[in-house]
Amino acid sequence: MIAFTEKRVNRILAWIWMFCFLAFLLGPLVVVAGASFGENPRGLLLFPPAVLTTRWYAGIEAGYWAALLASVLLASASVLFSVLLGVPAALGLVRTDLVGKPLLAAALRAPVQIPAVVAGVAFLQFYYVLGDALGWYGGGTWTGLLIAHVFIGTPYVVGSVTAVVQRFNVRLEEAALSLGASRWSTFRRVTLPVILPGVYSGATYAFLVSFSDLPIALFLSSSEVRTFPVVLFQAMDYDFDPSLLAVSTIIIALSFVAMLVLQKAIGLGSLLRTGK
Amino acid sequence: MKVAWHGVLLPPLLISAGILLASQYVFIKGSFFADLGVGRLGSELTLENYQRIFSDEFYVRSLWLTVKLSAITTALTLMLGFPAAYLIARMRSHWGTTLLALIIAASFVTIVIKVLGLNIIFATNGPLNQTLLKLGLVSEPLTILGKAGGVTVGLMHFTLAFFVILLYSVILTIPRSLEEAAQSLGASRWRMHWRVTLPLALPGIVASCLIVFNLCMGAFTSAALIGAGKVLTLPVLIQRTVILDTRYGMGAALAGVLLLSGLFLNLFSLHAVRRLKAARGLTA
Repeated sequence: MIAFTEKRVNRILAWIWMFCFLAFLLGPLVVVAGASFGENPRGLLLFPPAVLTTRWYAGIEAGYWAALLASVLLASASVLFSVLLGVPAALGLVRTDLVGKPLLAAALRAPVQIPAVVAGVAFLQFYYVLGDALGWYGGGTWTGLLIAHVFIGTPYVVGSVTAVVQRFNVRLEEAALSLGASRWSTFRRVTLPVILPGVYSGATYAFLVSFSDLPIALFLSSSEVRTFPVVLFQAMDYDFDPSLLAVSTIIIALSFVAMLVLQKAIGLGSLLRTGK
Repeated sequence: MKVAWHGVLLPPLLISAGILLASQYVFIKGSFFADLGVGRLGSELTLENYQRIFSDEFYVRSLWLTVKLSAITTALTLMLGFPAAYLIARMRSHWGTTLLALIIAASFVTIVIKVLGLNIIFATNGPLNQTLLKLGLVSEPLTILGKAGGVTVGLMHFTLAFFVILLYSVILTIPRSLEEAAQSLGASRWRMHWRVTLPLALPGIVASCLIVFNLCMGAFTSAALIGAGKVLTLPVLIQRTVILDTRYGMGAALAGVLLLSGLFLNLFSLHAVRRLKAARGLTA
């Protein structure tokens, strides 16, 4: 006999709720992964698959690999510039005695508040005007898309690093300096190791907003400049190729691997402090 | 350490603020010019675009639909997400970490792929309709794609993981000892939630809900791909006006309305959260 105490009933209800929640949250991902192994005719997507096959993985077009690689490279470059802009901005923001600090912080955080569609429209028109003035048209170029992605990625680095720097004890740096360390080596040996978890977490979000972005890339894409989300969007709108399910499944798998690596490297706690 | 910190702050700040102001100025200015067709703008400043948005029924309906879907999505996300966030934050075993890791990983996957999965699930001959038919709950397959209901589920997938991660952090800040004290003084579980947990979490809940609402107002992918051109929310309309119709003036005006509604909501939310915190005697 199992005694149905209140505590036990509560626990069972809690697990049922968790199960439904996870089924809802992960359902679409499981379905994409499942359908990618299905013997489905072009255009008709069936889940669960009747016959298992890996033909969609073998049949991934070179163009899709190129789009995926382009997305990874774009997101990596976006992280690099976001960190180069965001880390000094965060260090300076916390320690400066300039007046109007809240306003400066708001200016650095503002891009997060702008809906991606609005940012896309704004950059498209900004590049037209810039092109008329300077002769360089940013719309439909990788540089133009990169600038827009650095713009939306930097606030995440600023937010995460600010959160860490605020807890940082300045005496550690003073001790290093008074013991004869140079300013650069103080930064590299004392400051950097302490703020590194914040940099990693900010860099993770900067990578994700670039890698996941569809709206901005839609406005700034061209026949040569197409990220993977744009390729997937256009295929879903017009003619769907099932091997896109295979590429999507690879991305889902990589997302879970990335999470495991980050959990080992910096811990889940650092990822939660987005400072948003 | 004597370092001129403003010297470290100003270069990145000037670059960021410069791009922010220049791009926003250009598109907002563009919204005050009439469209002449094929992407050309008139030469005289006019309020025509904005007047049309607030008088033409087509645009008013789109604005209302966007607000309505965002509100419904926020309510549903709260109902599904809050218990999940609470349960995970209060788990004592390693399961809490595992579940949190799963949710973070789900938040890593782009919404385009999630919507692809939803499109398969919701298809006329998809798994959902097959199950409903087999169980005899419906006699004909349901049409979910191209409907507001389907878009709502898509919007929930855009915000749910993020919302749970936000609320998880909020609940961790509420000491477990307060809940235990309430129970040891004889409060039932429900009474404890109602009188202790909920009031303490309220500022965080309100702030998270406003963030979700804001995200939904600007969400493009779910509405575009599940709505299939039949659910025209403001972000979808902006993309179509600019890319398909090349009416840059009108597109910019619609984007301006979306941006302003977001800014207004942010100011309101700051105010609301501050008042809630003050009312509960917490430091802002």
